[in-house]
Amino acid sequence: MSDSTRRAFVKRSAATAAGMTVVGGLVAEEADAKAARRSGPVVAYIRKPANGDIVVMHGKRQVKLRDRKLAARLARAVR
Amino acid sequence: MSSHREAPAISRDPVADNTDTYAFVSPDDPATVTIIANYLPLEAPFGGPNFFEFGPDVRYRINIDNNGDGEADIIYEFAFETRVGNPNSFLYNTGPIDSIGSPNWNRKQFYSATRISPGRSQVLAEGLACPPCNVGVLSTPNYDTLAGQAIHGLPGGRTVFAGQRLEGFYVDLGSIFDLGNLRPFENLHIGSLQAAAGVNATNDFSVHSIALNVPKSDLTRNGSDPTNPTSENAVVGVWASASRQAATIRWESPSGLDAGDWVQVSRLGNPLFNEVLVGMGSKDTWNSLPPAADSQFAHGVRHPELQTLLPVLYPGVFPNLAKYSAPRADLVAILLTGIPSGIVPGFQNYTGSKLADMLRLNLAIPPAAKPNPLGIVGGDLAGFPNGRRVFDDVVSVELRAIAGATIPLVDKSFTPDKAATLLTDGLDQSSTRYLSQFPYLGTPQGGYQTAPLGTL
Repeated sequence: MSDSTRRAFVKRSAATAAGMTVVGGLVAEEADAKAARRSGPVVAYIRKPANGDIVVMHGKRQVKLRDRKLAARLARAVR
Repeated sequence: MSSHREAPAISRDPVADNTDTYAFVSPDDPATVTIIANYLPLEAPFGGPNFFEFGPDVRYRINIDNNGDGEADIIYEFAFETRVGNPNSFLYNTGPIDSIGSPNWNRKQFYSATRISPGRSQVLAEGLACPPCNVGVLSTPNYDTLAGQAIHGLPGGRTVFAGQRLEGFYVDLGSIFDLGNLRPFENLHIGSLQAAAGVNATNDFSVHSIALNVPKSDLTRNGSDPTNPTSENAVVGVWASASRQAATIRWESPSGLDAGDWVQVSRLGNPLFNEVLVGMGSKDTWNSLPPAADSQFAHGVRHPELQTLLPVLYPGVFPNLAKYSAPRADLVAILLTGIPSGIVPGFQNYTGSKLADMLRLNLAIPPAAKPNPLGIVGGDLAGFPNGRRVFDDVVSVELRAIAGATIPLVDKSFTPDKAATLLTDGLDQSSTRYLSQFPYLGTPQGGYQTAPLGTL
């Protein structure tokens, strides 16, 4: 690959990566907006703040996620 | 009923269901007031092995408004806990319960009583014992003795009791909910059946009562003991309530978790208010609100649905009521503001223009020497709607009031239909039993001694 071709490739790759970042950001924003539009309250509880397990419920759906920082932050809010 | 199962949500939560509230100057100690808040409707006496009890996850309150704003100025709060003696036994009791401390009683309840006033929360007592339910002749052989042991003195000349009592509210539910077919008037009803005596649907059922006796000065805004019935300081508003915490989480542990603020799920001031005057779609909301929010329910008081139904159900019996279309200022006064001076000679229980459903008790009116269960309608100023005594015939009083008997209090041009002054479901205070002293509601029927419901 010539230098000019290599430079062009690097440019294209950078542009693609930037595009992917933008698309990824847009997808994340869309997901956030969709979650925010969700009707009805979302309920969460942390059974054991130390291990970071958070149970999140909406309607009949229930998921468990592990986020020690968020769990600690929420636990601090009621201390 | 008065407020038994009166709203969709609370009908699924009997432990928190506030069924009746009473407030009266104590007949045997006129310097004091007795307030009784009942919960747990229609307890069948034989309902074991897990007999009825207060909810440890419920906060029970008796609320006092002494400045007419429909908000509580004084709160008496009761919180219960259950202690199990032997968790490996399925039995409520393993032998005769001869005292409320008996080790034979396997599932005891205790409670705390707290008085809350502006800027102050005072724990009056903790670890107060409840009596057991009246199980039967072998298990609770001296029930009155057991109940007597559960009457506790509190600081400040107060007395409290919390536990099972015989239902004091008498009503013919079977007829009333069968298209308002009052048995004594069945021959006049569109159903055209033969007139008959009333049937007390609550016969032998029990409730759980919190009965509190306090000096009058514990309730008034300036701490006085009012003697002048015309004084605005003489009148207090009373209602009871029950609250649960905002969140309940269930998991594999049997207890789960309750968390969050206390949210009111039931209340009761005047009997039958939420039951009869609030529409089905608003009853649960009503239960969640303080009396101060009651202006939104005033339409149901000014234009009660039952008023329009009576002339239809009893053709030709209520011609004057059928023609009356003005807002019912008499019902607004009786239920939402209190009765101002100048309407009933020698009486007022007016708390101001704020519309709020509360029992309004004029503390300066002494107990009647010969009480009339029809209260003020019967010429007895010490009875409903001046507060409410345990034996007051609130069903007849409210039926007559809605039928127009009280309209002339505020509209002299109206002549009540003859039937309006006679309406009744055919029952009176002889339908149940009472005590002449605290806690005034009768001894609950024993489980062994009770036959199941029969067929008429």
